[in-house]
Amino acid sequence: MNEELDSQLSAMFDDELPAAECDLLARRLSRDTHLQARWGRYAVMGASIRAERGVRLNAALAGKVNVAILAEPTLGATAVPQRTRAAGFGWRQGVAGVAVAAGVAGVAAVSIFWLRAQAPFAAAPFTARLAPLAQTRAAAPGTVSNSPAPADSYVVPRAPAGRAVVVPITELANYVVAHSEVSSPVARRNLLSAFMTSDPGAAGTEEPLEAARINAQ
Amino acid sequence: MGADASDLSLVRRVQRGDKGAFDALVLKYQHKLVKLVMRYVRNPAEAEDIAQEAFIKAYRALPQFRGDSAFYTWLYRIAINTAKNAVVSRDRSPIGYDLDRSSDESYDMQGRMKDSETPEALVLTDEIRSIVNTAIEALPEDLRTAIVLRELEGLSYEEIAATMDCPVGTVRSRIFRAREAIDQRLREVFEGGLGRAEELG
Repeated sequence: MNEELDSQLSAMFDDELPAAECDLLARRLSRDTHLQARWGRYAVMGASIRAERGVRLNAALAGKVNVAILAEPTLGATAVPQRTRAAGFGWRQGVAGVAVAAGVAGVAAVSIFWLRAQAPFAAAPFTARLAPLAQTRAAAPGTVSNSPAPADSYVVPRAPAGRAVVVPITELANYVVAHSEVSSPVARRNLLSAFMTSDPGAAGTEEPLEAARINAQ
Repeated sequence: MGADASDLSLVRRVQRGDKGAFDALVLKYQHKLVKLVMRYVRNPAEAEDIAQEAFIKAYRALPQFRGDSAFYTWLYRIAINTAKNAVVSRDRSPIGYDLDRSSDESYDMQGRMKDSETPEALVLTDEIRSIVNTAIEALPEDLRTAIVLRELEGLSYEEIAATMDCPVGTVRSRIFRAREAIDQRLREVFEGGLGRAEELG
């Protein structure tokens, strides 16, 4: 037998062989009965040197275990139960996924109803939501307005050229709060920044509204 | 070279369906496992039965072994639990053979005599020990020191190298040559001894 191989076997027995060499030698060790016999004698030597009391060095334990293991299913082949278990998990995961999806849909539906109840036009497009605001603004004192638009109109009434669109800042703030439920954080932050930076005295200008519209889009 | 690398290589092979690799693990740890189990039971034959059961349990549980701990730590844990369970079930059994436990010596003898193989097996064990000891005595000093530090003290190659003031490669070579010298004597006896053991079995 190759002396280098035996030297490797001795080092492997002591856990002193590099892992890569261990992998190669383990493959050979599992198949080569002579190598296994030598490996077994290394174990006997160690037990003899340690004088392990009561341990029978010639016991047929390894042989008995070998016979018992031969009757056991091969572990590589026991992937079947693992697959079965995995399939079980998959089935449960599928049910869980459906349940989560249903839950999310339910929450979304309830949220929409709630939002509609709280702010009837909250779920409408931003441009559409401006119409009632414009009506409110039209009703506000000191503002000039065209003829009143239909209450449920989704068309934003165009302000006459040169006329300032006046939106009370408190209403806009309320709108932003309601809108924050469905807007992205970035858009919300930009919208709030636009209000914060806008001059209350110049609320009659169209600039904040335009900024809000752009940011929300 | 990580600790437990050799065990892990064998374990991975077993997990991929190579039963021969498990034989190597059994050969390596059978004596240590029996010694461990004998802390719980005195009868060597019973200890071997428990060790056998522990090995089989370990084989069945190997798909769950991920290598988070060393293989032998994991194996020892299984063996200890198996031994404890065996002791509990034996104590519950109406017929126990540990009635004379008051005397350790008589209990030990009783335990030994339970094993029909024991007289022959003990002779063989003594014979093997004698051969190994004689072979070790005949070794050159440096080889004997290296193998004893390894097997008796459990030192790593690096620790032995530091102790003996030599390179790690030299330690590896000395331990290998010591084993070769012992194995030459052991092989002759073992072939006959194992044959007799098989006849007994």
